[in-house]
Amino acid sequence: MILEELAFLALAAIAVGTALLALLSRELVHTILWVSVFFVALAGLYFLLSAPFLGVLQLGVYAGAVTILLLFGVMVTRKRIFAREVATGIGPVPLGLAVLAIIVLSVVAASLPQPATPVRSYDVAQLSATLFGVDGAWLIVLGLVMLSALSGAIYLVREGRE
Amino acid sequence: MAVSFVLVGLLGDRLKKLEHGGWVAVGFAGAAMVVAVLVVAAEMLHPSHYSDQSFTWLQLPGSPGAFPNGFSLVIGVLVDPISALMLLVVTVVGFLVMLYSIGYMHADRGLPRYYAELSLFLTAMTGLVVSDNLLEFFLFWELVGVCSYFLIGFYYEKPSAASAAKEAFLVTRVGDVLFLLGIFIYFTIDATAGGGLGWAASGFKFVNGSTPFLAGAMGGSSTLQTVAGLMMLAGAAGKSAQFPLHTWLPDAMEGPTTVSALIHAATMVAAGVYLLVVASLFLGFTPDDRLAIVAVGGFTTFFAATMAVVHPDIKRVIAYSTISQLGYMVLAVGAGFAMVGMYHLFTHAFFKALLFLAAGSVIHAVGTQDLFKMGGLRRPMRVTAAAFAIGALSLSGIPPFAGFFSKDDVLSSVYTAAQSHPAYWPFLILAYATVFLTAYYIFRAFFLAFSGDKTRDPTLPHPHEAPWVMRLPLYILSGLAIVAGVFPFVPSFASLLSIGANGNVPPVFGTTDLILSALSVGLGAAGILLAQALWGNGRVYVLAPESALQPVRTILLNRYYMKAGYDELGLRLVYGGSRIADFFERYVIDGTIRGIERLAARLSGTLRQGQTGLVSDYASYVVAGVVGLLILLLFVAPFVLASVGGP
Amino acid sequence: MTELSVASLLFLSATLLAIGLFGILTRRNFILLLIAVEIGMNAAILNFVYFAGFSGTSHGLSGQAIAVVLVGLAATEVAVGLAIVLALNRQRGSINIGDATTLKL
Repeated sequence: MILEELAFLALAAIAVGTALLALLSRELVHTILWVSVFFVALAGLYFLLSAPFLGVLQLGVYAGAVTILLLFGVMVTRKRIFAREVATGIGPVPLGLAVLAIIVLSVVAASLPQPATPVRSYDVAQLSATLFGVDGAWLIVLGLVMLSALSGAIYLVREGRE
Repeated sequence: MAVSFVLVGLLGDRLKKLEHGGWVAVGFAGAAMVVAVLVVAAEMLHPSHYSDQSFTWLQLPGSPGAFPNGFSLVIGVLVDPISALMLLVVTVVGFLVMLYSIGYMHADRGLPRYYAELSLFLTAMTGLVVSDNLLEFFLFWELVGVCSYFLIGFYYEKPSAASAAKEAFLVTRVGDVLFLLGIFIYFTIDATAGGGLGWAASGFKFVNGSTPFLAGAMGGSSTLQTVAGLMMLAGAAGKSAQFPLHTWLPDAMEGPTTVSALIHAATMVAAGVYLLVVASLFLGFTPDDRLAIVAVGGFTTFFAATMAVVHPDIKRVIAYSTISQLGYMVLAVGAGFAMVGMYHLFTHAFFKALLFLAAGSVIHAVGTQDLFKMGGLRRPMRVTAAAFAIGALSLSGIPPFAGFFSKDDVLSSVYTAAQSHPAYWPFLILAYATVFLTAYYIFRAFFLAFSGDKTRDPTLPHPHEAPWVMRLPLYILSGLAIVAGVFPFVPSFASLLSIGANGNVPPVFGTTDLILSALSVGLGAAGILLAQALWGNGRVYVLAPESALQPVRTILLNRYYMKAGYDELGLRLVYGGSRIADFFERYVIDGTIRGIERLAARLSGTLRQGQTGLVSDYASYVVAGVVGLLILLLFVAPFVLASVGGP
Repeated sequence: MTELSVASLLFLSATLLAIGLFGILTRRNFILLLIAVEIGMNAAILNFVYFAGFSGTSHGLSGQAIAVVLVGLAATEVAVGLAIVLALNRQRGSINIGDATTLKL
């Protein structure tokens, strides 16, 4: 048990740290590298929470596809890829808000009672049964959302639009 | 039955195809006429037949207080003897006028508009005639009113035409509003009489099977019913240009002559009389109502005829004569012989349309409406002159022309009624006096226009006879003006007029009271002779300036100053009202609005500073809002709930 | 199985969300903004995955199923976001959101 506690703490620390580094880094490419590490740390957390399917998904979609997409975005919008970002000071209001949010959410977290021992069953067949549900409604909705997003994205970037 | 549905289908279809022009409209009007003839034939084969096909459009449950038995709106077609007869008049005159228009309006611009409006008018008019309930009737009533407005104002570039259209619209509107009020009173009668008569629930139908819905059930003596009847009279007076709402009809002559012939002689103005007939048969009048109707009709008859005596404008003379003749019809209805009024309406439609079309032919030829500039038109325009003469003889009530029979019936019916109602006598005398005046003024117009050798104003274009499309309607109408009076003596046709809806409307066609007939014919002949003596042979009889009759002439020419009076009244009312409205607007409404405006300006000035356009700023607003909501939900809400003792 | 306390996990996800929010509010670069949104979104998904275990065996995995859907949605969002980045870059030559203060292009 202690091992898992330690693993959680380590992964949590990595996640928080990389998230902060990603946002505070001056260089966009560094940011993307840090955030990919953040995604991997989260995937580790999912494995720890006995959700290996999601962990794999996280690795594939986030650490893989999203990271590449972001890099791609940087590549096509910049002449020099390793360019420093113009420094932006941290405004007092956003900082205050972020801190306030942490405090509020922490208080909420602390005030919640510890529920009974959770069931940590891992069963991909059951997950897929849930996911497909009745007639696969969720997947259909998700597919529709993706389709409309796809056509929207194509519309936005199509040639000759002025 | 099926026939009536075919009719409505045809009329509805016609509106769409109109851009193609006049012949399409003529064709559809002709088709409508054929259908109307079939309807009349069917009615003649089945005397006193009522065919009611309706469709309930909306049905509401009853509520205690307003409509105890419910309320339904019905669109339906009722074919009964009177509507068949009226249908015949409307479609025949409509068709002939359309045909005539092809020639008369040939050179005008805006022809599609003209034919579309004319067709819309015909549709509305036939719809009005076959309506089977009062609300539908009112709907079409308003529709013919608006068509009349459009058509009077057909030459809208002309200020006088535009203002005449407005005047016609506003004056008839007075009648319409009162008519609507009358309908409401009938609602009230229906709702309050002994738990409701179920009239509203049946959709305000005129007849239930073949018996009138309201006339019997109301008892016929209550004050409310009298008031409702007076409102019907007011509506009819507005539409039929009866005193005191008559001022618009002479001005309506600003429209094309064809329009005057169709709308302001034969059909729409007759709708007022038709309303009275329908109300008399199906809704019922009280004795007080009848007296009021007789008074209005009798007075208008005489009053309008006096104004026609001096007028120099050929169309306006005929317009005054229309008002006067409508007065006769109203008189007959008031006397209790609704079908006699209907009979006069029937014959009048033909000879008056004939007169108007003949006058139109004259105007078409010489380009002026001023009688004193015309003259000598008999030789170049033989057909027109003959047609005008036939119309004039018919109007004057000379046998054997149609006008004789119907006018004689009107007079004898009033005479019959006056036996038991002494109050009717003065109006009978006025009606007889009018016979003389009528013959005089119409023949004055005839001699002024046609007799003599040449036109008095040499600048007028050389007169010529009208083209065949204009002559053909003149021939047909001349024939009808001669024989229409004989129709009631044909037994199967007479059955159309003898529908005593509840047995109390006996017809008195062709009375045998020879003294009365002789009196009216004698008066008519005297009028003609006087006109011949004064105006015949193209002479112009000029009243001496110092004559004692000169002030009378001035008053008559100025139409008893009634129009001027109405204008003055309108001005006073409108200016007074607008001054109050102005004050209210400037200080109350504007003050409030400016206050609100200033507040909004200040607020928006403050809020605007938040709208930087920066996504980050907007995001921080969102986050602030979410955090605020969380605080509210987690800390404030439990506290509040605890303090009020909630869950 | 693990017995991670609710409080510790919630604290982690709250912290991540706050970091994401902080990024959204302070960064001016559009791509950075997208990354910040992704971080916040992952915090939410983490919660779903964690609490999936508390809802009993019969629905034991609906939380995870939602998480799967959310991952898909987040990926879609990145795609659309990058399309906007490209469009912005073409229109204004910059992906600094400070330059995009009007809604019209």
